[in-house]
Amino acid sequence: MPTLLFYILAAITLLSTVLCLTRKNPVHAVLYLVHALFALALLYFLLGAPLLAAWQIILYAGAIMVLFLFIIMLVESPVADQSSRRLSRWLPPAALSGSLLVCGGALIVMDPAATAVISSYWLTPRDFGCALFEHYGLAVEIISLILLFAAVGAFHLGRRYRPNSKEDVS
Amino acid sequence: MTEFLFLIPLLPLCGALIILFAGGRMPRRLLTGVAIASVAASAAVTLWLWPLAADQSRATLFTWFDAGSLQVPMELLFSPLAACMALMVTGVSALIHVYAACYLHHDPDIRRFFMLFNLFVFAMLVIVLADNLLLLFLGWEGVGFCSYALIGFWYRNPVFATAGRKAFLVTRAADVLFGIALLWLFHLTGTLSITAINLQAASLPPASVTILALLLLAGACGKSAQLPFSSWLPDAMAGPTPVSALIHAATMVTAGVYLLCRLFPLISLSPTALAVIGLVGTSTAFYGATCALVQRDIKKVLAYSTISQVGYMFLAVGAGTITGAMFHLLTHAFFKALLFMVAGAVIHLASGEQDLFRLGRLPKRSPMLFWLLLAGSVALAGVPLTSGFFSKDAILAACFARQTLWWTSLGVAGLITAFLTALYALRLVYLLTADREAASGHGPAPRGLVWPLLPLGALALVGGLLNLPEVWGGHAGLGRWLATPSGLSPSHGLEWGLAFVTLLLVAGAWFAIRNRYRVPTSPVSERPCVDFLIAGWKFDSLIRFAITAPFERLGSELERSLERGFTTSWPAGLGRLCQATGQKLRVFTSGSVSHYLVAMGWGIILLLAMLLFLLIF
Amino acid sequence: MIVPLGHVLILSGLLFVAGLLGVLLRRNLIMILIGVEVMLNAVGLTLVGASAYWRNPEGQLFALLLMAVAAAEVTVALALVVYLKRSRSTIDVNRFNGMQG
Repeated sequence: MPTLLFYILAAITLLSTVLCLTRKNPVHAVLYLVHALFALALLYFLLGAPLLAAWQIILYAGAIMVLFLFIIMLVESPVADQSSRRLSRWLPPAALSGSLLVCGGALIVMDPAATAVISSYWLTPRDFGCALFEHYGLAVEIISLILLFAAVGAFHLGRRYRPNSKEDVS
Repeated sequence: MTEFLFLIPLLPLCGALIILFAGGRMPRRLLTGVAIASVAASAAVTLWLWPLAADQSRATLFTWFDAGSLQVPMELLFSPLAACMALMVTGVSALIHVYAACYLHHDPDIRRFFMLFNLFVFAMLVIVLADNLLLLFLGWEGVGFCSYALIGFWYRNPVFATAGRKAFLVTRAADVLFGIALLWLFHLTGTLSITAINLQAASLPPASVTILALLLLAGACGKSAQLPFSSWLPDAMAGPTPVSALIHAATMVTAGVYLLCRLFPLISLSPTALAVIGLVGTSTAFYGATCALVQRDIKKVLAYSTISQVGYMFLAVGAGTITGAMFHLLTHAFFKALLFMVAGAVIHLASGEQDLFRLGRLPKRSPMLFWLLLAGSVALAGVPLTSGFFSKDAILAACFARQTLWWTSLGVAGLITAFLTALYALRLVYLLTADREAASGHGPAPRGLVWPLLPLGALALVGGLLNLPEVWGGHAGLGRWLATPSGLSPSHGLEWGLAFVTLLLVAGAWFAIRNRYRVPTSPVSERPCVDFLIAGWKFDSLIRFAITAPFERLGSELERSLERGFTTSWPAGLGRLCQATGQKLRVFTSGSVSHYLVAMGWGIILLLAMLLFLLIF
Repeated sequence: MIVPLGHVLILSGLLFVAGLLGVLLRRNLIMILIGVEVMLNAVGLTLVGASAYWRNPEGQLFALLLMAVAAAEVTVALALVVYLKRSRSTIDVNRFNGMQG
């Protein structure tokens, strides 16, 4: 039963990701991405990470995606994003992705661990918290600092744009 | 009481420091007063401490260097030799300071002048009194620096400044050899104390002693303007006349002789070195005299004369008579300083004219100066019974008393040079007294320019009493005081004979000069041999041809090949390469984000491929 | 017992390549950012799968940290988008060629 669930969820994730990335309208893309993120959250749960699954929904599908939506509305980008049909433009990314898939696939196939069947490693929020704060307190601090800097940077960049002010030398 | 010895050099140093730091706020009279008083006080202290010299007093102030086996104490040795020299230096310096105060009365830079002048006296006294070769070397370089700065005192004239640099560089070349001698002495004896070195000298290997003596001779030659380092002294006349009188006649140029005298116990162990010293002295004496014979510039006559007379002192050292060398050093200091200061006063009277053929009528203008000139000249010429006569005869007598072919021939050369000396000394007098249309000048000589010369004039005439030979009823006072037996005792017959020959030579010179210059003459026509002598045997051209020009060629060659070829074009080529590569690589910076992302993607693939490779093999 | 580890890895690899293609092919800055989000999630999935395979909590911990970093990245990136839209009045990446040599 969990095995079947895994494959269903994997298929949903893959499908909605591809749909997301091929949309012309960014709003649609974001909505498909939310879909994919929900599926991923379930996969996390399936693999034994209930806390991560919750955060995936709250943080990613909730906060970040809403942020995306806001910005898209703010920017009001005219949908002028038709990708070129020319082969020359498609060729390098295609070759790139192809070789990436070949390399990655080869690595996975050749690794003996790849055939090892995994079961869910259930980590309760309590265990999670203990593991995090016992060994990675410093990392948490650093991450919080990064978030702070990001907030400050975003605040700075987001101030009212004055074409003649000297900070904006762009 | 020995600690008061340090007052002798320190008083002029204090004077220099006071002038340096407070001179700017002093009135000129006070400033010159400080300069004169410090040197005069130093002379007084020397006289006061004179009795200490008899028992070789020494005083140590502190240890200057203390590094392993190298011990350099600040130690002064007040030996009879040093006492004589110190008294001469301080006494003559004091008189020349008084003269200079009057001579440079209107110069705006009087503060710099007296600072350097006092500093010079300090450095000179360090040379005289030091018991340590390194301390002596300090003074040695100190006088060199002061000499350089004072020759170029009027530095706005590029010729004068160049003359100062030339003096500095030429003496420095010789000082390198002196420095080598110092290091070698330390290596051999493990000490730099002159006393200790002289005591150990006998135990050193003879070959080393010869080379050491020759190196020391080279150092002395540089300072004393002996061949082949003589060419800087005539140019050094660019300095103010008091500088010429003090540094380039009385004191600094005799430092080389003094050095050889101090280290005589070492040098005398090598007959070869003594012979070479004698040869250098004689040839320089002859060279200087021939050049002095034809010079037109009054100061250049005296400069070449100085070279020549210092050559006599070297001859004396070579002949082994310290007494003779010191005797001639002292008398020469008196009459040559006198002559220089008379020349300065004459130039002053003629408002700067230095050409002998445009000067004249001295007895009418300033009888006192004329008599002083006469006193100095007869002493220089060696007219019997003057100081120069006795000192020169002592040297020649020592040469003949050796009774070998070498020293006898050097003595004959010395006699010929004595004849030439009389010729140019009397020529000077005749040219200055000639009744010709002379350059106009102002008023009589200031008293300040005349009265410091009176003691020197008296000493030039009767200075022979210092070391009157027994033949003449004297006691050879200087010889006894110095107590450096030369082992030579010229017979009375030899001395009488020499005196007679000298008399004949002087008389002959007088007749020759009188016939030539009695009536006012114009300068000799431009004959090649006269040009050759005026240019100092074309020594400068020779040096230019043999040393300077090849060095310049080498330098420009290196500049062209190495500097431009290696250090300039090679990095420039590298720079061009970088620039060209950058031009080629420009295409990769398209500025388009997607290109960069693709490149990043290829980087990821490369990493993955590497992982794959590692996994397979 | 759910699936072999290889299947988890293949899924995340496919997600990663899909995100990469999005990044490379789209010209809209926002769509590029969405591609980046997809790639980050692919990595997160790998971490969780690895955590289950090694029976070790650290994979999940790093997935959390990854999420936080992604949040910071999105914050700054979206602020930049707004800034660029204001200053250049476009978010077409092909128009941003100020770094051209």
